Amino acid sequence: MAANSTRQKLLCLIDDIEIVSKELFETMSTPKNQLRPDGADTVMLMELLVEKDKEIKSTLKIAEEQAEIQTVMDSLKTQVDKRDIEIKILQKNLKESETILSTAVYQAQQKLESINQANTKKISSEELIKFAHRISASNAVAAPVTWAPGDPRRPYPTDLDMRQGFLGQGTYTDTLAVSRSNSQISNVSETNSTPVSSNSLSWQHPPEVSITSSISHHAISDFKGHNKENEEIELMSSDSSSSSSSDE
Amino acid sequence: MSEGEDQQRIRFQVELEFVQCLANPNYLNFLAQRGFFKDPCFINYLKYLMYWKDPKYSSFLKYPQCLHFLELLQYEHFRKELVNARCSKYIDDQQLLHWQHYMRKRMDLLQAQAEKMQQSNTKPST
Repeated sequence: MAANSTRQKLLCLIDDIEIVSKELFETMSTPKNQLRPDGADTVMLMELLVEKDKEIKSTLKIAEEQAEIQTVMDSLKTQVDKRDIEIKILQKNLKESETILSTAVYQAQQKLESINQANTKKISSEELIKFAHRISASNAVAAPVTWAPGDPRRPYPTDLDMRQGFLGQGTYTDTLAVSRSNSQISNVSETNSTPVSSNSLSWQHPPEVSITSSISHHAISDFKGHNKENEEIELMSSDSSSSSSSDE
Repeated sequence: MSEGEDQQRIRFQVELEFVQCLANPNYLNFLAQRGFFKDPCFINYLKYLMYWKDPKYSSFLKYPQCLHFLELLQYEHFRKELVNARCSKYIDDQQLLHWQHYMRKRMDLLQAQAEKMQQSNTKPST
């Protein structure tokens, strides 16, 4: 009985009262001579009824108190729910700010790295712009707008450029080189044959160039440095203007 | 080897010209076919020429692509491959395409712009 809820208790009591009052009405409605000897005494029934009524009243009071407690509980529950929602929002905000801060820290670190890198290799912007202008204005790194196949211009020094250059003209004097060329004239004939083969590499060079530049022939074998270039350059042209030594 | 100032100047000019000639793939093919790339002296010379990568020297270059080729030439495999004319032709083609890249991009942009203008001109008339 103790485990029963107030509602069930009340319902039981109401059923009991119903039964008792039915019993009472039956007893009252039967005539005296039809009364059963073991039948319930009206007085007893009345007392029972009164008792049940008292019990109902007390149970109702309990129910009222319980209802009050229930409202308090409900209000507390809503407050708890509200707080829960607030906490969730705060948690989301915290997470967002954490990601934002971590990306900011990462980007700042990258910036610092690039700053350090830039500091180690300082270059003035004017120098950079000058250099950029020089390599772009001569169409050395980007094709001219009017370029079409068949245009002789190239992103590298062409045969013509090389022929007309410092190396190709042999305009410099290198005492060691000159002495060697004098001592190794035999190489002249050897290298004179090479112009023919160079034609197969689609270089056009007038035959007189090989003759004039054979003067500046140098030995290949063990001379590191200018001689090697001359050996090849006499077969091709070089253009001194193409190497921007004048810009020093 | 002590050099006079004049000689140093000459050497600077000569090496400046030579290093830039390395940007010409036909020239590289020529060198390969003549067997220069097999000469250890020449290989050492190429290694020595790497000083052109330093900013205070590279600021004098007109054809900065030569530095890339100089780097590649440090590898024996590349030097061996350059004997084939097809290899140097391929490099030449790629170089030209790369060279023209910006021009083509600009042309495409201009074309797109011109088409847009045409469309906006024809719209009010319809």
